[in-house]
Amino acid sequence: MSKFKKDGKRAMPGVNTSSLPDIVFMLLFFFMVATTSKENDPTVSVTPAVGSRTTDLTPYKQRSEVDFLYLGEPRNKNRAKDFKMGYALSLDNVVQATPDGLYTTNAVGQWKKDKFDQKPARMTSPIEAVITCVKADKTAPTGLIFDIRKELQEVNALTIAYAVRDNGI
Amino acid sequence: MAKRELQEINAGSMADIAFLLLIFFLVTTTMDKDTAFVRSIPKKVEVKQDPVEVEERNILAIKANNQNQLMVRGEIFSDPSQISEFILKFYKTNEINNDVANNFPLYSHTSMKQIDDNIRLVESEAEDLENKGAVKSMIEFKYTQLEEWIKKKRALELLGGKDLPEIHFQANIRIEVQQATSYEIFAQIQTEIQEAIYKLRDDKAQELWGESYGMLKRKFDAENGAQEKAKLDLLDILYPARIIEVTPKK
Repeated sequence: MSKFKKDGKRAMPGVNTSSLPDIVFMLLFFFMVATTSKENDPTVSVTPAVGSRTTDLTPYKQRSEVDFLYLGEPRNKNRAKDFKMGYALSLDNVVQATPDGLYTTNAVGQWKKDKFDQKPARMTSPIEAVITCVKADKTAPTGLIFDIRKELQEVNALTIAYAVRDNGI
Repeated sequence: MAKRELQEINAGSMADIAFLLLIFFLVTTTMDKDTAFVRSIPKKVEVKQDPVEVEERNILAIKANNQNQLMVRGEIFSDPSQISEFILKFYKTNEINNDVANNFPLYSHTSMKQIDDNIRLVESEAEDLENKGAVKSMIEFKYTQLEEWIKKKRALELLGGKDLPEIHFQANIRIEVQQATSYEIFAQIQTEIQEAIYKLRDDKAQELWGESYGMLKRKFDAENGAQEKAKLDLLDILYPARIIEVTPKK
């Protein structure tokens, strides 16, 4: 009865996908610009503490100017008992006993010094000004943080940052 | 030989390649920002000195014990968010008028004449030391002193009025924790201090220039302008953040 009659089966035209690469590239560039590279995958688990009115460390050029160290419970639970108070320190993915632990002494100081010596020449700030960011688990005992602080003081690295997640209030 | 026609390159798999790259970047990067409280560690002292006597009114001790209980100036605080209010009181109580009766730090009011006198005095002292050939560190110390006075002069010029109110130079906030205090509590104390200092400076900035402190700082970060620097210096002199983190005993 209808005026327009479908004459038999008509094939659906395929969707033109020639602009798909463009779209995907756009997405790709967005993510390349909007994100920063993960420094490393810490071998200790860290649940950050929260705080507000923090300083944003992102402007420090892709994090390479900031040295990160992680303090938390080791992911390998069997090893936890080896460490002081059950917390381990992760320096560039090498798990260390906490500062005055059984295995190493001055691990943090040595690590910081090595890091500083290996900095490329374009970074001119003296060791006192190079930020060391401590990412500690919220349950970590503060005593350990002060142990780290003391070791940094020993090598004259005098700027420390206590990492927290900003709750934005 | 016959001319062979060039075949077009098949770009159908371009999307796949781009997707692969995209997924690679998604996996290896993070979106979240790194936020932290930046603090400086005092320089190591080689020579053992007797600790300087500090009046009780100048100390605001925030203590946290192994059971994560908080105590501010001998009072137990069950709600940590009240600490910032207490810090505000610590700074504000004697800001306008000094009252010896209360237990909060006193303010000094330095007039422009006093600042000028001090600049001249320190300058001549520095020159004197240089002529005498004193130790380099001594001369450097004098020059940093001089710089501070010049900074104060600039601050007062910007502030206007007849004198520069300054909290007692020994007034400090100290964080005293114990070995097993959790990092969460430590971060909370730092937050409260930061919150209070921000509030003080923000109120002042609003009052003086109708500008928020956060905006001022952002502008300075972006443009590095001299005007913003002077304003931030002034706020820093009016409400200095002197935080002492006391190493817990073993």
